[in-house]
Amino acid sequence: MPSRRLLLDQTLAVAQRLLVEQWRQRRGLIFWAVFPAAMMLLFGLVYAHNDSMRAGLDAAAAGILMGAALFFSCLGGTVAVIAAERERRTLRRLLASPLHPAAYFLGVVLAQLLLAAVQVVMLYSIAWLIGARYHGSLWLGGLILLLSVFAYVGMGFFLGARFARRSEEVVVALSAIGVPLLVLGGTFFPLEIMPRAMQAAAQLNPMLHMNQAFKGVAAYSLGVSDLRFELAFLLLFCGLSLALGVRSYRQLLLLEQRP
Amino acid sequence: MTAALEIDGLHKRFAARQVLDGFSLHVKRGEVMGLLGPNGCGKSTVLNIVCQLLQADAGQVQLMGQPLGRLGASARARMGLCAQDCALYPDLLPQENLHFFGRLHGLPAAQRHARVKELMESFGLGPYAATRVGRLSGGWQQRLHLAVSLVHRPEVLILDEPTAAVDVAARLELWRLIEGLRDSGTTILMTSHQLTEAERLCNRVAVMQSGRVAALGTVPELLARVPGQAVVTLQSRDSGATIQRAQGLGWAMRQRAGQLSCLLPRQLSLREVVDALDGPEVSAVSVQAVTLEDAYLELVGDDAVIE
Repeated sequence: MPSRRLLLDQTLAVAQRLLVEQWRQRRGLIFWAVFPAAMMLLFGLVYAHNDSMRAGLDAAAAGILMGAALFFSCLGGTVAVIAAERERRTLRRLLASPLHPAAYFLGVVLAQLLLAAVQVVMLYSIAWLIGARYHGSLWLGGLILLLSVFAYVGMGFFLGARFARRSEEVVVALSAIGVPLLVLGGTFFPLEIMPRAMQAAAQLNPMLHMNQAFKGVAAYSLGVSDLRFELAFLLLFCGLSLALGVRSYRQLLLLEQRP
Repeated sequence: MTAALEIDGLHKRFAARQVLDGFSLHVKRGEVMGLLGPNGCGKSTVLNIVCQLLQADAGQVQLMGQPLGRLGASARARMGLCAQDCALYPDLLPQENLHFFGRLHGLPAAQRHARVKELMESFGLGPYAATRVGRLSGGWQQRLHLAVSLVHRPEVLILDEPTAAVDVAARLELWRLIEGLRDSGTTILMTSHQLTEAERLCNRVAVMQSGRVAALGTVPELLARVPGQAVVTLQSRDSGATIQRAQGLGWAMRQRAGQLSCLLPRQLSLREVVDALDGPEVSAVSVQAVTLEDAYLELVGDDAVIE
């Protein structure tokens, strides 16, 4: 086990590298910003235009942040990072270095968290102009955001290791596995209108708990005690995510060596 | 003195194929060991096991006298890997790639900055400090690739066909850099398909076949295994008559890629060879001293021996 100092330095090195790469891929960065902004603008204008829907505007902003912006940047971004490492053969070099799997995972989380923070500011700025408001505790919202990024990155590691060997497979993996999870996460339809079996399955989906927890804080000012079930689930899933990420990284070693 | 690398009795099977079958090799400290062999003989598998990228089914590897299994991840900090594919981050600058891998190896900031500066200078990368790696030519990328594998001053450097993907000029430059490492006492285990590369860079060469070492020695030792001092390559309109005449002179005959060649028991000039083989059927003759390529072909049995 490496020292804590080495683990921290490795984590920071991975995060810094990913952010510098992201910054230099300007075109990707523009699309990364345009997508949630456009979603917020379009959905926001529809909600603001209809009197019967206006009350749901605050919840819509929270849902777009969790279901659209973070889904694509944190989950999609992580799958893309893994696919790029495999495609560029840098993964082999990382695996041959003393980089600890946990440091790699935490480095990706840190980079995605910083990008998510920028997305939150950008998305809520647009939402505010349309009329949506954030009502709840900022620290609780921040905590849910942190747990959600953690969970998304964990799922991204799993999908990236299992299903995305090349960059062109990223979209396929996201569409085939990620989008059904979005539907089951209550992003497009409320949970109440789903069949009972789907509702039960949805309870295992971390996206549902991210959505409900963040909507609860942002739109309805709910506190920790109101959201204890969602928070407990997300906390548990974070531990699982870290284990999943470390395991996926180690599995990559085996997958990369298949002749 | 303990060997830098002691590889003993490695076995590895992929599905039905036995890739390594009791592979053993000892690499002395400060020597450059070349690993040669035909495609699929298990060279890369050996390197992957040494770099802990692959688990052997049986056998053991010791780094400076300590088993790799016991050293765990710390062994990876003591080795450097430079594969034939340029595993670099194309959107980063050369020095950013060096810093990144230096940080993964836990180099303190001051030491890392000094090391990166030193490598940028010694590898001639200074003029490209502001150029993203993705925009460098293949040769410069490979040069940086080698520099990255040295950033943490590894005790053993593993080179997997380091010049396979570069042009002639870049290859010569990389050879110069590897010679510099050899002369400074770096222990290197390298694979190559280019026998001239092995001849120029390696202190000793191991020839692999069927998952084990078929021959091991210095280049002169391996050359001594060839039953001849020089090789005559010839073209003949009547192979049968030429073979008969050459065999009558006591020359061993070989068939290489559809071409006839004879191994001469002693050095002869071109004039002497032409006179000896004189006949209307011989259309082209060349004579050259035995090289590592001849030794390799003899050892791996790629030559068809004409009885």
